[in-house]
Amino acid sequence: MTLPGENLLGQIRGVYLSRATDGDILRRKVASGGAVTAMLLYALEKNLVDGVVAAKRTRGLAGEPVVARTREELLETAGNSWNIVPFEEMIKARIEEEGLKRVAVVCLPCQAQLFGQMREFPLLEADLSCRVRYVVSLFCRGIFVFGAFINHLQIRYGIRGEEITNVRLGEGHLIIQRGREELVIPLREVFPYLQTGCLICSDYTGVWSDVSAGSVEREPGWTLLITRNRRGEKLVRGAEREGYLELRDGFHVLEDVLRGAKNKLERARENMKRLL
Amino acid sequence: MRIVEKLRVLHVDVGGCEGCSVSIMRAYPRLMERIDLDISYLRNGDPKHDRYDVALITGGVCMNEPRIAEELREVREKAGVIVAFGSCSALGGILRFCRGGQTPRPDHRNFQPINSVIYVDYSIPGCPPTPQMLQSFFRYFMEGKETRLRLFRVTAGVKKLSGFDLIDDVVLTGLCVGCGACELSCPTCAIKLVDKRPTLIPERCIRCGTCYVRCPRASQILLGGVKK
Repeated sequence: MTLPGENLLGQIRGVYLSRATDGDILRRKVASGGAVTAMLLYALEKNLVDGVVAAKRTRGLAGEPVVARTREELLETAGNSWNIVPFEEMIKARIEEEGLKRVAVVCLPCQAQLFGQMREFPLLEADLSCRVRYVVSLFCRGIFVFGAFINHLQIRYGIRGEEITNVRLGEGHLIIQRGREELVIPLREVFPYLQTGCLICSDYTGVWSDVSAGSVEREPGWTLLITRNRRGEKLVRGAEREGYLELRDGFHVLEDVLRGAKNKLERARENMKRLL
Repeated sequence: MRIVEKLRVLHVDVGGCEGCSVSIMRAYPRLMERIDLDISYLRNGDPKHDRYDVALITGGVCMNEPRIAEELREVREKAGVIVAFGSCSALGGILRFCRGGQTPRPDHRNFQPINSVIYVDYSIPGCPPTPQMLQSFFRYFMEGKETRLRLFRVTAGVKKLSGFDLIDDVVLTGLCVGCGACELSCPTCAIKLVDKRPTLIPERCIRCGTCYVRCPRASQILLGGVKK
């Protein structure tokens, strides 16, 4: 558990810019380099895990939790998530039903905290500590109050939730795609639709994960990976060795991530003063 | 070869269901190389030493039984660090429901967490916490990784955490993000996510506090020192 400000980005072992080598992955709606999908594909195909738990975008911005056990199932989950999917309870049920022994979990920083804590400090016998092999956290600036944001889009722009085909983050704005049409909305306009709880969250990268992943504006088309321990490092290196990932050093963009983390912390501090 | 002195650890149970004691016993085989555990199961008679590095205390304090408070104060004198292990000891736990009139001791009307009587350094909730939890605790404690243990350090300053506090502090205040950590953490299934927000089934909550320390927002409230 890191204090806000004490260690903003958490423990860092390696920082890489990476990209999937598989064309199939890159053709999907990946957020940047498709590295998370490629890395997990490696884990699945080389039998390091029995399944990957991730959120899959279904219609519009809505998502549902899935356990991917094959290449095709995993590719279906590729792409960024814009809605928190409370999949903890479901993971438990699936792991127990399907007898999964080793899973990788792709989640948000708040969820990574749970899985990280569960693994390091299992408070309950029912904790799945030994079954969660890898925790991959995506960078997160906050999650929308789903209904409110969709309503706003519909009232202001006439876009219905289910028509949205993709959402991307650009420099200072959000790009919402409807078929071939693109709508660019300034971030200032969308921030009020974030969940209140996200406004006091200070974890940008997911300090409890094994690998944190996200994109930086300076390197479009590449995914930034931060490994936090030997386990995470081995996963990334292994995926490179087996040809799933293309890697290059990413320390030069770490300052961009730090800036993102600082912004989130500042926002959290400001809001904590009022909300707590 | 360097001889590393083992950590001297005393276990004291002040009254509970023995679940936590059993958890400590289960953790011990893997801790033997690093700690020397003095526990009533493994000795005859009184504690072996006068001084201990760490005392693990399980069970809640019966306030109607003055000798227990006295015993705790003695342990505080003897031990460098006090760890409240398990929800009863750390937060009152299920013993909070005690109101007297029950066999075999109808005169026992009020139980408190041990920090109502003595200063506690770390509180580990859980009903009971797992053996692996204790192993992790000692690993980080002996490596001096205080930041990793900070959550347990601040929990030691709190007397009550439960599903009720979670609802009050996180859900009713609108801070819940709907991650589902509480639902997965509850040992009695007292929490269900309805419309992406936790709903408490009050009669099931045993006030163990696990959901509270596991909630990303509530733990932040704890770490920020806002919760008393």
